[in-house]
Order: sequence, then C-alpha cells, then structure tokens
Amino acid sequence: MADLNIAKNPPNFAVLPFYATGALAFFVLCLLIFLSPDSLVVHYFNPHLLAIVHTAALGWGTMIIFGAAHQMVPVICEQDLFSPKMAAFSWYTLTAGILLLAWSFWNMRTGWVMISGGSLIVLSAAMYVINVLGTSRIYKRCDIEKLFLVTSGTWFLFTTIAGLLLATNLAFPFFEKNHLDILKLHAHAGLVGWFLQLITGVSSKLVPMFLLGKSSKERFLKYAYLLQNLGLLLFLFDGYFFGITSRIIIYTAIVFIGALFWLLYLYDAYEQRIRKKIEIQMKHTFVSVICLIFGFVAIPFVYFLGGRQWAVLYGMFLLMGWVTGIVLGKTFKTLPFIVWNAHYKNLSGKIKVPMPKQLYNEGLIKWQFMFYILAVFISSAGIIAQNVPLVRIAGGTWLLVAVMYIYNVIKILMHKTIIPQ
Amino acid sequence: MIISAADQHFDQKTKAQAALYQVIDPELFVNVIDLGLIYEIEFKENGAIDVLMTLSTPHCPMGDAITNGVKNALEAEFPGKNVNINLTFNPPWNFAMLTPSGKEQLGV
Repeated sequence: MADLNIAKNPPNFAVLPFYATGALAFFVLCLLIFLSPDSLVVHYFNPHLLAIVHTAALGWGTMIIFGAAHQMVPVICEQDLFSPKMAAFSWYTLTAGILLLAWSFWNMRTGWVMISGGSLIVLSAAMYVINVLGTSRIYKRCDIEKLFLVTSGTWFLFTTIAGLLLATNLAFPFFEKNHLDILKLHAHAGLVGWFLQLITGVSSKLVPMFLLGKSSKERFLKYAYLLQNLGLLLFLFDGYFFGITSRIIIYTAIVFIGALFWLLYLYDAYEQRIRKKIEIQMKHTFVSVICLIFGFVAIPFVYFLGGRQWAVLYGMFLLMGWVTGIVLGKTFKTLPFIVWNAHYKNLSGKIKVPMPKQLYNEGLIKWQFMFYILAVFISSAGIIAQNVPLVRIAGGTWLLVAVMYIYNVIKILMHKTIIPQ
Repeated sequence: MIISAADQHFDQKTKAQAALYQVIDPELFVNVIDLGLIYEIEFKENGAIDVLMTLSTPHCPMGDAITNGVKNALEAEFPGKNVNINLTFNPPWNFAMLTPSGKEQLGV
C-alpha cells in the first residue's frame, strides 16, 4: 500500500502486559505507603522503605517504561522491534524479579531469594538493552534521541548490576567500601542514568509530536546529553574512589544544567506548537517537571542539613512526583492508541469508530490529576514534619490516585470492539 | 487539495473528498482533508484510484490507521475500484496546509 515504511507497531503481547502489571504495582506501592507510613519518617535504609522504593522504581516506573518503550522505540527509530519475543520474555523475568526483591526487602530476608530477584532484574535489563540496540541500529545511523535511548538502557543495566552486588553484599559481605555509599551511587545511576536520560530522549521526540510543535534547537539536546552524563560519571567516579563529599553539589549543578537544556528544548517546541489546547495528560508532565526541579533543590538540604527527612523528601519528589507524574499522564497518550489500533485500525473509514479518548473515562483523569498534586503536597508536608498520621493520609490520597488510574487502565485493556448496527 | 471545476473527474473527486471528511486522525480529532494530509487524488484510466498523501509526522504511530482509513473510505465510496495509497513526505506537512476549518478545530 504505502511506499514508505510508517507504523511499526510490535505485537500487543510485547506491550500490554507491562501496562497491566505496572498499574497493579502502582496500586501495591500506594498500599505499602498507606500501610507503612512510619517507614517514611525514619532513616531511608529500612526494610519497608527499600521495598517501597524498589516497587516504585522497578514495578511501577520501569515496568510501564518497558511497555511504552517496546511500542515507542520502533516509532522513534523507524524500525521494527528487534525481538518481540525477547520483549515478552522480559516481562516474566522483570515481574518475577520484582516480586522476589520486594518480598525480600519488606521482610529483610537477605540471601538467595533476594539475589535471585536481583539476577532476574539484571537479565531483564540485558534483554531490554539488546532490544533497544538491535532496534535502534545506532551503529548504522546515530541521532541524539537514539543516543539517549541506548545510553539510558546501558545505565539501567549498570544500575541493576550494582544493585545485584549490593544484594549479594548484604548476605555475603565483600565490599571494601561503605555499603550505604555504594547504595547512593546505585540509586543515582538509576535516577540520572536510567530515568532522566530515557525521559529526556523519549519526550524530546514525543512532546513535539503531541503538541505539533517543532524545535530547531537540537543542539540543546546534545548539551543535555553531554552534561547529564558528565555530571553522573564525575559523581560515580568521585563517590566510589573518594567518598561522598560536598563536591556532589558541583555534579548536581552539572546534571541540573543538562536537565535545563532538555527543558529549554521542550519549551521551544511548546512555543512553536500549532495545537494550542493543552490536554490534561500534558499538564501531568508540567507538574512532574516541577517535582524534578524540587528534587534538585532538595539535594543541598540532604547534604548540608543532614536530617533524615530531606533524603526521603528528595526520593519522594523524584519517584512519586516526577516519574509517577509523567507515567500517569503519558499512559493515556499511549495505551488508548495501542488498544485502539488493535481494534479499529482496519475498520477506520469503513464504519464510524470511537476515538481513542473514548476508550477511557476522561473526566476521571482530571480528578486523578488533582489528587496526584494533592498527594505530592501532603506527602511533602508529612515527610518534612515527620508526622506519621499525615504520611498515612498521603498514602490514602495516593491510593485514591491508584484506584482512578487502575480503573481507566482496566477499562482500556478490557475494551471490546464497538461496531454500530 | 484543490479540485478544479475544469477537471474531467471533478464529480468523482468531489465525492472522494466528501468521503474523506469522515476519516479522522485519532490523535488530533480532525479529518484528513481539513488537516491537509491529502495532496492529490487521481482517477486512472484502468479504474484505479491513486491517492498521494502525507502524515503530520514521519514517525506517526497512527500512520497505518490513517492510511487504512483513507483506503477503506474510498473503497466504500467507489466499490470495485482499486485504491492505491502513495505516502510522501515531500513536501513535509506543515501548518500552512491546514484548511481554515482545520485551524479552527485545532484551536489555532
């Protein structure tokens, strides 16, 4: 039919299970916060908070990212997904790995169960990197978005290997360095290497596409890439060999400027946009970016004030404010279209078909957005004030967000083709 | 797409255009005519219909759905005719290709 290769949709089995599991993990995550609010007002290295953080980073953020990436990487790279079977298999290893890891942390059972969970996560990361490398064919033609995709995947693999070593060290100590210092390196390889760079790369392609706005300032993305990686590498090198010192403020500033270049690129696309109306899904992205900036602002507090609440607040801004905000919005810019394509792609033009936004309850997204902001606000207040009842209220608010989100995700996934009589 | 009154296929092209008003871009909720995605419709001697069209972006994940929609709508309007979709990004789609109605629908 068409003489140019356009849509490169992978089979649904490589995509949809990740969305379903991610939504469930988000509910579990919010339930864990609700059930264990005291874990957010003590030192961050405690069993329940470790389980909560790994459920958030892997079960929620990474799970949805894997599903979305299997769909969007072929679009960005204009190539078929390298291996849909490998993508589908990585769902089994990622899900099993997270279950083992979260259970082990929650009950603080160090040993082979925790190590097996970590190994399965490493295996999932390796399969993801192979799929991204094979799909991007970056060795043939390189552009900045592909570079972000491949580099973030590589950082994810690095993060999971470091995590596996940490899990092993808990059961069979072998580190000569301080376990908590290595933990900080592991966490930031994940936050800056994996989440920040993946979100930078993907959003640089998708946000202009969604807004119908094009930025000509692609050099900003190159600066963003260089600075984000430079800051992270310096942090890891210095932190590993010389320990965590006040020099982290310099590395934070370098990464922050890198993030600012990305945001300037998005702002330019926003200014150039044709589509003036900003959808509620895009508003989620805007609030999530504010949370990211708050996260950067929290770092000097963590280092100089030293109170245990600042480290938890920092993590909350990044995982619940930033990553969660993006995922809550972007789910409804991707999932309805994936499911719609499966049901109506071949019927479009033949009969009157519903639009993708009719596959879910749009009104509920507005409530989800308001409760998400409220949950971030109450969580911040509760953590800063070290007030357990307030953190529990925040947990309850997060649960409401999760219920609204999961309702819409299930509604989309369970959609049956509507053919008018 | 502008149809000349002197065009020997004027009636057929007008019918085709009317059919394509029903094909909606699922992401933008605007039909393909008002979006300016259809560059040319040609009625061939052999009975085939050739459509030269574009997408708002070369990476459009809904590309298949939109081109399928165009093919389906024309096959329904002209039963028995073979519809060929030729996709081009030369010239690439831009803001100026929107019709006044398309601009209004996008809130421009």
